[in-house]
Amino acid sequence: MTNPLVTFRNVEKRFGDFVAVRDMTLDIHEGEFLAIMGSSGCGKTTTLRMLAGLESPTAGEIRIGGRLMNDVRPHERDTPLVWQSLALFPFLSARENVEFGLKMRGVAAAERKHRALDWLDRMQIAEFAERNVATLSGGQKQRVALARSLVMEPQMLLLDEPLSALDANLVIRMQGVLTRLQKELGITFVYVTHSQSEAFAMADRVVIMSQGDIAQTGAPRDIYRAPANRFVAEFVGRNNILTGTVTTTNTGGTEIATPQGNFTAQTPTPPPQTGQQVSFTVSADLVSLSGDAPGTVNQARATLISEEFIGSVVTLFLEGPEGQEYKVQMQERALTGFDLTPGTDFWLSWEPGNANILEAG
Amino acid sequence: MSAPRRLNLYALTWRLPIILWQLMFFVGPVLFMVAISFFVVRNYRMTEAFEFVNWEKMLTRGYFWDSYWYTLFIASLSASVAMLVAFPAAWALAFRASDNLRRWAVFLLVIPFFTSYLVRTFSWYVILAESGVLNAMLGYIGLGPFKMLNTHFGTVVGYLTLTLPLAVILQTVTMANIDKTLIEAARNLGCKPLATIWRVVLPLSRTGFIVAALFCFILAFGDFVAPFYLGGSQEPTLPILILDTTKSGQQWPRAAVVAIMMMLTLFTVAFTAIALAYRKPAGSR
Repeated sequence: MTNPLVTFRNVEKRFGDFVAVRDMTLDIHEGEFLAIMGSSGCGKTTTLRMLAGLESPTAGEIRIGGRLMNDVRPHERDTPLVWQSLALFPFLSARENVEFGLKMRGVAAAERKHRALDWLDRMQIAEFAERNVATLSGGQKQRVALARSLVMEPQMLLLDEPLSALDANLVIRMQGVLTRLQKELGITFVYVTHSQSEAFAMADRVVIMSQGDIAQTGAPRDIYRAPANRFVAEFVGRNNILTGTVTTTNTGGTEIATPQGNFTAQTPTPPPQTGQQVSFTVSADLVSLSGDAPGTVNQARATLISEEFIGSVVTLFLEGPEGQEYKVQMQERALTGFDLTPGTDFWLSWEPGNANILEAG
Repeated sequence: MSAPRRLNLYALTWRLPIILWQLMFFVGPVLFMVAISFFVVRNYRMTEAFEFVNWEKMLTRGYFWDSYWYTLFIASLSASVAMLVAFPAAWALAFRASDNLRRWAVFLLVIPFFTSYLVRTFSWYVILAESGVLNAMLGYIGLGPFKMLNTHFGTVVGYLTLTLPLAVILQTVTMANIDKTLIEAARNLGCKPLATIWRVVLPLSRTGFIVAALFCFILAFGDFVAPFYLGGSQEPTLPILILDTTKSGQQWPRAAVVAIMMMLTLFTVAFTAIALAYRKPAGSR
């Protein structure tokens, strides 16, 4: 593998007593679509702002293309950012907005115009080039903002929740636009979002942050199927989390005794100690539902509390002994034949291979 | 489909006092002043008439136009100086100061308005006089004494006393409302820190700044105190000309001509400035 485009080495950012980013070490590779995800205040936006030079780290090193960037000022960098508020200049037309960065670099007027119109055309908004940006719709503004950054032909594009102001349908369309652009241009995208669906739909790799720390880094599928710790398991959502004591462990599986019964999970590396307290997760869509005991290894009894119906997919919320919460996600058509009155008892079961033990903590 | 317009008695009742006030104390006097400008003075007594003699006498005289252009020039100059001198302070208050400090600063800037402008003007005597504070200090480093009272400089100092705090307040409030993300966005696109002032801050502040400059101009253009007491009416400004005209031979009709010319000028300047301030950017619909 080639050298990473961006390296964070033990980077810390404090604002007074508040630690926004703590001891962050992260590589960002050339041409990858990286999403940084977390709830508000987790440090994801601060991380992005440090990449753009709008904040400088209080400790550690940030390098881009090998060059130490800690104290390089924003206007001396090649790190255009697409802002959450878009930050288009309201006193300029769409074309003038796109030309702004080129003008700052001293590109001649004729070439500037040509390149700006080229990008507006590529974003399919060439007809609005001379319109003031205030008169454009949300989706059109979004495209102007993207064009304004991409016309600079950067190695890396930074995006700070750019889709959060759009309505749901437009978000899906813009996700398509973004992923296609990223593949076509072959440049690195660093995309900050609080939305799991945006991150998982677009990114090659996802970084999940919590209170200034990286909680997990990995491909969306790996994070979804095998959350590393409790925070990620809860954040990613629709996960069942059970806690108990390890009774036996070997390469074939680990037995865990819980108040809800005895279960078998995949043995992680390194394997846990016998007698250790562990938690494991099972994705809600990998749990089967039945009226009678299925007689398999991992089975649990639970009472239906409520259901959440969103089109073809239904999520059932159930409760087991000791108040254990379960979530089961199923196709709506697979539920015909079940009595879904709240209070009905069911049996839940899952494959041992789908149960993943979390890191301690 | 709009509902037929009907007389809204409720709204009218509440508007009536201000309408009456304006009619009695603004429209009425202005019309009266226009009428007076056609009156004639015979034996030091104003007599009703409809003659153009006052207009002819004033508008064909060199001293009127000298005074007119001088007033226009010195008011524009002091408005420009006020805007320029105010800018660094307002910029620092808007972008560098904490919200708390900014609140205090705006409060402190209001304090000068607590005392009479006349009193503040006279206090400049102590500072600007031949043997005043400023010349004494300059004397220590071997400079001066300079004549500062009864000069154009004195007039401008007086105008600034009136307009500078206002200019700082209006500029600060205008720039404090700027979305800081836009400045960061400009920096992100390669704009140098100082260049953001005229690439981003000034375009975004256009309305507020034009209104501030307009206020500075109007206050200076119509001011009598500064040019009279600090400028020593060396070159009479229009307000001084009005005073002189009324004093010399009870020429109220000719003074009315000067006043009407001043009002027409202010209307033109204010109208142009407001139109500029609220002009929509190109490509708006």
